[in-house]
Amino acid sequence: MKNKKTNPFLRRFLSIMGDEKRQKITIPILAILLSLLAGAVVYLIMGKNPLKAYLSFLQGAGLFPKGNYAAKRSMVTDLMSMLNAWTPMLLASLSVAVAMRSGLFNIGVSGQMMLAGLVATVTIGYSPLPAVLAKPLVVLVAVLVGAAASALIGFLKYKWNINEVVSAIMFNYIIRYTVSFSIKSFIADPISRQSRAVGPAARLSLMDTEIGGLKMDIPLGLILALVSVFLVRFLFQKMKLGFEFRTIGANPRAAKYAGIHVGRNLILTMTFSGALAGLAGATYFLGYYGSIQPDTLISTGFDAIAVCILGNSNPLGILLASFLITVIDKGGIYMSSTVGVRQEIGALITALILLFAACGAFFRYFIAARRQQMLDADHAEKKEAEV
Amino acid sequence: MENHEEYIVEMRHITKRFPGIVANDDISLGIKKGEIFALLGENGAGKSTLMSMLFGMYEPDEGEIYIRGKKEHITSPNQATKLNIGMVHQHFKLVSNYTIAENIILGIEPMRRAGLFPVVDIKSTNKKVAELSRQYGLEVDPTAKIEDINVSIQQRVEILKMLYREAEILIFDEPTAVLTPQEIDFLLKIIRGLREQGKTIILITHKLEEIKQVADRCAILNRGKLVDILDVASTPTQIMANLMVGREVEMALEKSKPHFEQEVLKVQHLTVKNRDGFPVVKDVSFSIHAGEIFAIAGVSGNGQTEIADAVAGMCRVSEGTVSLMGQEITHSSVRDRNDLGVSYIPEDRQAVGLVLDFDLADNLALKSYYKPPFCEKGILHADAFDQYGSKLIEEYDIRSGQGIHTITRSMSGGNQQKAIIAREIELDSKLIIFVQPTRGLDIGAIENIHRQILKERDKGKAILLVSLELEEIMALADTIGVVFSGELLKIAPADTMTTNEVGQFMMGVKQE
Repeated sequence: MKNKKTNPFLRRFLSIMGDEKRQKITIPILAILLSLLAGAVVYLIMGKNPLKAYLSFLQGAGLFPKGNYAAKRSMVTDLMSMLNAWTPMLLASLSVAVAMRSGLFNIGVSGQMMLAGLVATVTIGYSPLPAVLAKPLVVLVAVLVGAAASALIGFLKYKWNINEVVSAIMFNYIIRYTVSFSIKSFIADPISRQSRAVGPAARLSLMDTEIGGLKMDIPLGLILALVSVFLVRFLFQKMKLGFEFRTIGANPRAAKYAGIHVGRNLILTMTFSGALAGLAGATYFLGYYGSIQPDTLISTGFDAIAVCILGNSNPLGILLASFLITVIDKGGIYMSSTVGVRQEIGALITALILLFAACGAFFRYFIAARRQQMLDADHAEKKEAEV
Repeated sequence: MENHEEYIVEMRHITKRFPGIVANDDISLGIKKGEIFALLGENGAGKSTLMSMLFGMYEPDEGEIYIRGKKEHITSPNQATKLNIGMVHQHFKLVSNYTIAENIILGIEPMRRAGLFPVVDIKSTNKKVAELSRQYGLEVDPTAKIEDINVSIQQRVEILKMLYREAEILIFDEPTAVLTPQEIDFLLKIIRGLREQGKTIILITHKLEEIKQVADRCAILNRGKLVDILDVASTPTQIMANLMVGREVEMALEKSKPHFEQEVLKVQHLTVKNRDGFPVVKDVSFSIHAGEIFAIAGVSGNGQTEIADAVAGMCRVSEGTVSLMGQEITHSSVRDRNDLGVSYIPEDRQAVGLVLDFDLADNLALKSYYKPPFCEKGILHADAFDQYGSKLIEEYDIRSGQGIHTITRSMSGGNQQKAIIAREIELDSKLIIFVQPTRGLDIGAIENIHRQILKERDKGKAILLVSLELEEIMALADTIGVVFSGELLKIAPADTMTTNEVGQFMMGVKQE
């Protein structure tokens, strides 16, 4: 029996990973660590210092001071600019999570964001309304448009059992071309070939604003995003509706058996998910970016799916996961200039994180199997000792 | 002492424990080459567990398995296949949109080269399967899809699957449970034919007649223990029955005389169609009174589950009416029926009755979460869930690792069922529907559930019991309805019918 002793390192590892409840937290962290390790290997192969690279990600995202700053710039400037980019990513990931917890896959978040952004831009973005009116109206319009676009997908599934993934992908195309057509025909800026920039009154981020001698971007939408995190959390933990959503997500047959109106809840889920996507669209196109680029579907809605998986579809998990992904994304520009590698290496590390996060099921399986082996071995040992 | 040499399979001192139950307790038996060996026992006696170990699905906690005189550690079905052991499971393991031949070769596909690329050689397979099916008298069309053929043909495919893998030791787990009488006769003929071809056959069953018809020897298991191994030809059926039950005195439930009160459920001319528009319940009418157990007997798949589903609101009613306490509920929602007083213990407790990823507290409140004190103004009160859960766990003796916070997936089948029954009884409904309430449970749990059903009847509930176990029906029913092919062939007070008569109606043999 002696040769069958569990390796002490493995034993230590297993005890850190913990039981199933704890693994919900430890497995994503393991995924992040593994991807940072794999990323370090990439840097080493390219002959660069990985520690310096990772530090410059933090510096670029405003989480660690750089050596020097230009006039009216500081770490806070970088941080605010990172938060500005974070806002739509966080909201889009929440949008995916609401659907996913209810067993639905909203792959149409990007399209819903774009449509909401276009309608809000056209209706409010160019209007002479004062900021106090324009900003809430932008939010309202975007939320309604996003919700309606997504609810339609839910309705199609409810009424004719059309798979939501297929219809959402189709809607992504329809929206992309409709938005492109509208921009080019009516609101294109002759120089940038994008839509004309929205007026400052309607913009949800205060750009280049001077505070305390520093110029920075202030993402007002971030407050809405953080509130949304807690609203989604409240919905799923405390509300009857959230309980019904979760039940449908975990077992639709049992939900029907429990008397839950599965079809109605399906449309409601997609409506909520779309409302968050609309809000994400507003903070992206009328906040972070300020205009809409035709002919491209933004990647935020797709990255959000991966963030949602990394964050275990849990609002707080998503808060952290989306933050991390944004830090790598925004910090990548600075990392590229200091370390002297292409900015895409940042995207590569993001991809590695998501790849390892998607392996979560394997980690769970691996850990469960090894834990069982360890327990069996311990049991056998104990028995032997008794004899 | 018998000669060990002659055994093709020998199991020595096999013990297997599951949480809370010893499924097999020190079982030793030997099976001779070329015989039909039956394993007889009630549900939960440990027959399937024992054979699952021979087939490599579990490993024994103690004891050894010898195949052809050699000690073997069978750790997977693949390894069992290599040892020429095959098994037809109670629930067939077939891919429904593949053809028969494709299912048979799945996992060991013969390959041929088409230019550069290897492809599955389906033509030669079709030929080989056709040959094989002729050889053993198991006529099938190799190119037919599984979804288009009936259960009995599917079973033939499972048998062919074993033969294609050159199995010499064939295990049949309750092969007749899903078959009609004619199909049973045919299957038994095939089994005899296989023996003549030199195969060794192990038949798991709880039906005495079948054993009497085909088996050479028979091992009787009771509550995980081996009671005896008998020569079938020289042992009277009655003795086998007694050994199998082994506790007739205990078995007799104390059942008081029923007191029928007002009519609770009235079903009139009920017709239910399946997705293809084919009627699976045809013009069924019956009624149940307060204090009455109305049991529906029948061979699986004759429409009994659909009757229960229609009453509970889980499937659409095509024609006819369902009323509860005089109020028509034919097209009411499941929720409305719950509120009016219908409780339902569904057949598939894991796929329908529970949300396995939820904890026990959530599952126990699954039918009442939307009402105070659990929910007020759309907000849930976690402490109400916890209190209610703890109360039910205590009252119904539901055992679990971490109390109300146990994820139900990790609980044993018996305790999962206890949780469902606790939840449904606690709703205090006028009508309680039990479908297969004791399927797959151990004997202790079965008796416990039977007592609960009788208690609810005596409290004045109307009870609709659907069961495939004739003994269960005979033990509990006040009134028996027998379904055959979607029709209620016979409704009669339980004390006017013998087990035999009910059985004949179930087979559709006897008609009025």
